[in-house]
Amino acid sequence: MKKDSLRLRLVFAITSLLFLIVLAISPAKNYFREYRSVQRDFRSLGMSRAKSLKAAQAYQKRPVAIEQVWLRDLDRVDRCTTCHLGVADPAMADAPEPHRLHPRTAHTPGDLERMGCTSCHAGEGLATVRPEAHGTTAEAESPMIPLAYLEAGCGRCHTSEKVSQASLLSRGRALMTRAGCYACHAVRSHEQFRSEAPPLNTISVKTGGEWIHRWLKDPSAVNPNATMPNFHLEPKEIEELTHYLFSRPVPRDLAAAIEKASAEPAGDAATGKKIFSESRCISCHTVEGKGNGSAPELSKVASSATPGWLLAFLRDPQAFDPVTRMPRYHFSDQESRDLVAYVTAEFRDFDAPKEILEPIRVNQTLAENGKKAFSRLGCFSCHDPIQGEATEKFGPELNGIGEKRAASLDFGKRTDLARNPPAWLAAKLENPRSFAAGLRMPSYGFNADDTHAIVTALLSLGSQPVPEAYRPPLSGSPAPIPGGAVGALIQRYRCLSCHQIGTQGGDISMAPLTHEGSKVQRDWLVDYLMLSFTIRPILEERMPVFRIPKDEAVLLADAIESFYVDPSIPEDPFAGRPEPDRNPVEGQRLYVTLGCRGCHIVGAGGGYYGPPLTDTSTRLKPGWIYAWLKAPQRWRADVRCPNYGLSDTDALRLTAYLGTLHGEKAGAKVGGKK
Amino acid sequence: MSTLPPLTAVESNDPVGTPRRIALVRPDTRPSVRRTEERYVMTFPHLILREVILFQVVVILLSLAALVFNAPLEEMANPVETPNPAKAPWYFLGLQELLHYFPPVVAGVLLPGLVVVALVVIPYARVNLTAGPFWEGKGRGTSLTVAGIAAALFLFLAAFRCWAIAIPTLLVTAALFAARGTQGPGFRGALSRLSLPQWIMTWFVVVATVLTVIGTFFRGPGWSWVWPWLSVTHP
Amino acid sequence: MNTISLAPLERWLRGTAVFRSIVRHGASETNRNRSLIVFENLFLHVHPVKVREKTLRFSHTYWLGGVTLACAVLLVATGVPLMFYYHPSVPQAYRDMKELQYVVDNGVFLRNLHRWAAHLMVFTAFLHMLRVFYHGAFRPPRQFNWVIGVVLLIVTLLLSYTGYLLPWDQLAFWGVSVGTNMAREAPVIGEKIRFLLLGGNMVSENALLRFYVLHCVVLPVGLLVFLAVHFWRIRKDGGVQGPSDDAAGSIDEAGS
Repeated sequence: MKKDSLRLRLVFAITSLLFLIVLAISPAKNYFREYRSVQRDFRSLGMSRAKSLKAAQAYQKRPVAIEQVWLRDLDRVDRCTTCHLGVADPAMADAPEPHRLHPRTAHTPGDLERMGCTSCHAGEGLATVRPEAHGTTAEAESPMIPLAYLEAGCGRCHTSEKVSQASLLSRGRALMTRAGCYACHAVRSHEQFRSEAPPLNTISVKTGGEWIHRWLKDPSAVNPNATMPNFHLEPKEIEELTHYLFSRPVPRDLAAAIEKASAEPAGDAATGKKIFSESRCISCHTVEGKGNGSAPELSKVASSATPGWLLAFLRDPQAFDPVTRMPRYHFSDQESRDLVAYVTAEFRDFDAPKEILEPIRVNQTLAENGKKAFSRLGCFSCHDPIQGEATEKFGPELNGIGEKRAASLDFGKRTDLARNPPAWLAAKLENPRSFAAGLRMPSYGFNADDTHAIVTALLSLGSQPVPEAYRPPLSGSPAPIPGGAVGALIQRYRCLSCHQIGTQGGDISMAPLTHEGSKVQRDWLVDYLMLSFTIRPILEERMPVFRIPKDEAVLLADAIESFYVDPSIPEDPFAGRPEPDRNPVEGQRLYVTLGCRGCHIVGAGGGYYGPPLTDTSTRLKPGWIYAWLKAPQRWRADVRCPNYGLSDTDALRLTAYLGTLHGEKAGAKVGGKK
Repeated sequence: MSTLPPLTAVESNDPVGTPRRIALVRPDTRPSVRRTEERYVMTFPHLILREVILFQVVVILLSLAALVFNAPLEEMANPVETPNPAKAPWYFLGLQELLHYFPPVVAGVLLPGLVVVALVVIPYARVNLTAGPFWEGKGRGTSLTVAGIAAALFLFLAAFRCWAIAIPTLLVTAALFAARGTQGPGFRGALSRLSLPQWIMTWFVVVATVLTVIGTFFRGPGWSWVWPWLSVTHP
Repeated sequence: MNTISLAPLERWLRGTAVFRSIVRHGASETNRNRSLIVFENLFLHVHPVKVREKTLRFSHTYWLGGVTLACAVLLVATGVPLMFYYHPSVPQAYRDMKELQYVVDNGVFLRNLHRWAAHLMVFTAFLHMLRVFYHGAFRPPRQFNWVIGVVLLIVTLLLSYTGYLLPWDQLAFWGVSVGTNMAREAPVIGEKIRFLLLGGNMVSENALLRFYVLHCVVLPVGLLVFLAVHFWRIRKDGGVQGPSDDAAGSIDEAGS
């Protein structure tokens, strides 16, 4: 019994000891957590770099503790600074990571308290252990945005297509718009997106079965600039789709217009060539790759569309496609015939077989199957979008794709990929159907740079919009587009295809029309609309000559004069100013000292970058000149013209000088010939 | 019978010695008291120390487990994203597995309710108190009855394609017959000493274990059969 | 002897008035003192002063009830600190899990310990029940204690199940959804019970709050009450070993 009791006590002593040891392991582990040693390293690094005794003492006194930034509006806490202690410490400019000072950006230093770290970099702000904080594991809740795609972080708040200082992101977003991603995938603020793919209701009289075959097989083989992706269709599917497309009824009025046009005699190609260059078609279209590229390539257009269709389309493109960006020119019947004659003669694929535009005889069964394929493949998303309120999109929603964890992405057969979201997205773009059988996304043939840019744009898509306080102010205020006769003209000439008005419109033109009424003289504008010419010779894109009749030009100019004005621009900037402010001689001296000549032409000399100022007095209003000189970037954010911070007096003197410049009208016409 | 001698309280002066046992016997009861010499030990230290050691060992083992294995934590609850399969905690997976075979009212309500009732009435059912070893004094008739019941049960379960219960049922029946006519030490001997209620409980435990193990390890997306050692590439 | 003996210190400590007011018995290894240790202590006095030696054998109980109780104690000990860091609200509940990992000292250890102890407790409670069944320890006079044991098993399961929801992760949400959907199948009252349990028609913040209150107040108090009865009954019915085989019959008859 005694012996037994002794053994029991021995066991008790051992288990007691083990008990204490085991319970001490966790506190010990806690004491040796990584961030503590990082903070101790920082302390000694700071002391070695300190410039003064006081600074060194400050480093020495720093307690070892978790640091955090509380972002109240985002409902988020960022503890990144627990290890990255030097992000705002100038003494750590070239220190090794994780102590290094954050490089200067639009938001650093200054916005650390407001934006924290995860607003831009993502990652798990709450975490105080490295793999979780950086999200390097596949299960990590919120992976960090890799540095190569960092501009995606900008895009979480900056949701506009163009984001200044984020060229990759902007490019990615532009590519997404061009590729029409939003037609199949729901993305916030692109609910109204409509693809520019043409409606297919006239295709049976536009082109031939052979062309459709070739196009469906691989659009980029027919046209290297094709926006339509390759659907990798089976020959059977191509056949069925072709029959379906030919079985679609042509709207009666369009059929009549095409029929009438086909019966017309051919025009004169030589005249057509002249009209083609005068009308500046390549401000939007390309010919053999030359041109702006926002509209289709034309070099083989005659091998894809019949002359009759081309003629009818040219006369009223908007009847064929209500949302086309193509304006309706004022060509006479003969002029349009000449233009089509030129196009048919020059812009054809000389290797194509003769029967490329031959219609086919429709087989109903094949057409029925084709109709099913049309909806199965999602063709309708771009070509026949359902108008009106938001409907279920063909593809999955993309909101939140930038916040996905790798573990929640379906890598399928792609075991070769790194398990992270950028690799997954890039592979999806490069070879969408390699993940599993039965996937329907087509291939767009993006190159590596494009893919990189689009992945950046995709990673910027968060599941929720950022709170109001973090949304950047809208660039420019919305401006109304008038209705009635003026609205009809703006529609007809598709001003918004190139110009910006308020927050709407394209970016082909460098001249937004939002404040055009405050900017240019009415009479000049009337002349310009009737026969436009190049204002900035350096630019490729030029305003097309629409051959606007006088009454329409007057109507438009008057409307612009009254609608598109900025009340902050004074009608007469000199009102109530002392006499010396109007001194043009002083202004000329300023013109020379500020180096305006470097970009602008006055008389014989000057640079080509900015618009020539020779006819300033007849073109621009003095109020505008003054307002522009005070702050050029206020009127166009991306303009290169420097803001010299001119005083009122200097700005007025310069305005006065520019007001003295008036070239003969002939000078303008010379510019137009360029 | 003469009157009992007066009782006197005796205080022992021997602190280590075993206290003397006193039995008071009333005249109207059996005069004999069976007496066995059992070894007694002091609760302290013998029991108390063992209890403390037990507690320490439990804490030590659990702490080691807690240091090595992290409790699972998936992403935040998301009512719109249903994981496939959605599984209950392990102790309910037997029930969930049952749901796969039987209508929900049976598997989710009736059977668990019956199990609880059965557990409660165990000590009140006479058979549980009196039953001896199952095969003791049983003839051919019992064998046939047992075989008949087992076969009926098996066919019923097979009709529901409920192999997860049917096969363990067969195995338990096989063990039952294996125990027949054996005795003495060893595993088969131990089986031969089991009574009918104990055989039923054994059947229940085996079935419940098999169902739980299947539900925990062998069920994948859509409650389909998976082998736990073959990793699922994508859910 | 060059080691310092602690004996004088112990003697002094035991001599102080304060110590003597707390521990009234002496320190010497006498059976009297050993008895006093047991019955002068609130926590130990559920034990008899002496126990039969054979009940200490491992094969007698496999210590399964003891392990279950140890788990219960450990669960309270880890559960209370965890309550300090927990908010039963959405989404804070989930964030608190992350905070345990990221900020709370030993937070992960506490949570792990709580989780594994809970699983072990359910498991050993099952085994304990089986052991009692196969040993026939439910026989009179202990029938009702068996019933209390069944109640305790159910309370243990409910404790584990209510705790399962609290982390508010996918595992918790769907585990509880699946479980409560089973309750729905009960005829007539199924939907009502489910609504009562969840405080709504689906697992939501209301359910989280109810499960939290059940897990931290109602069920632990229930467990404590039934445990007390369970142990009290064990003691009354003759300790862990039960009424000794030879005495069982005679006590039965003697009591009649």
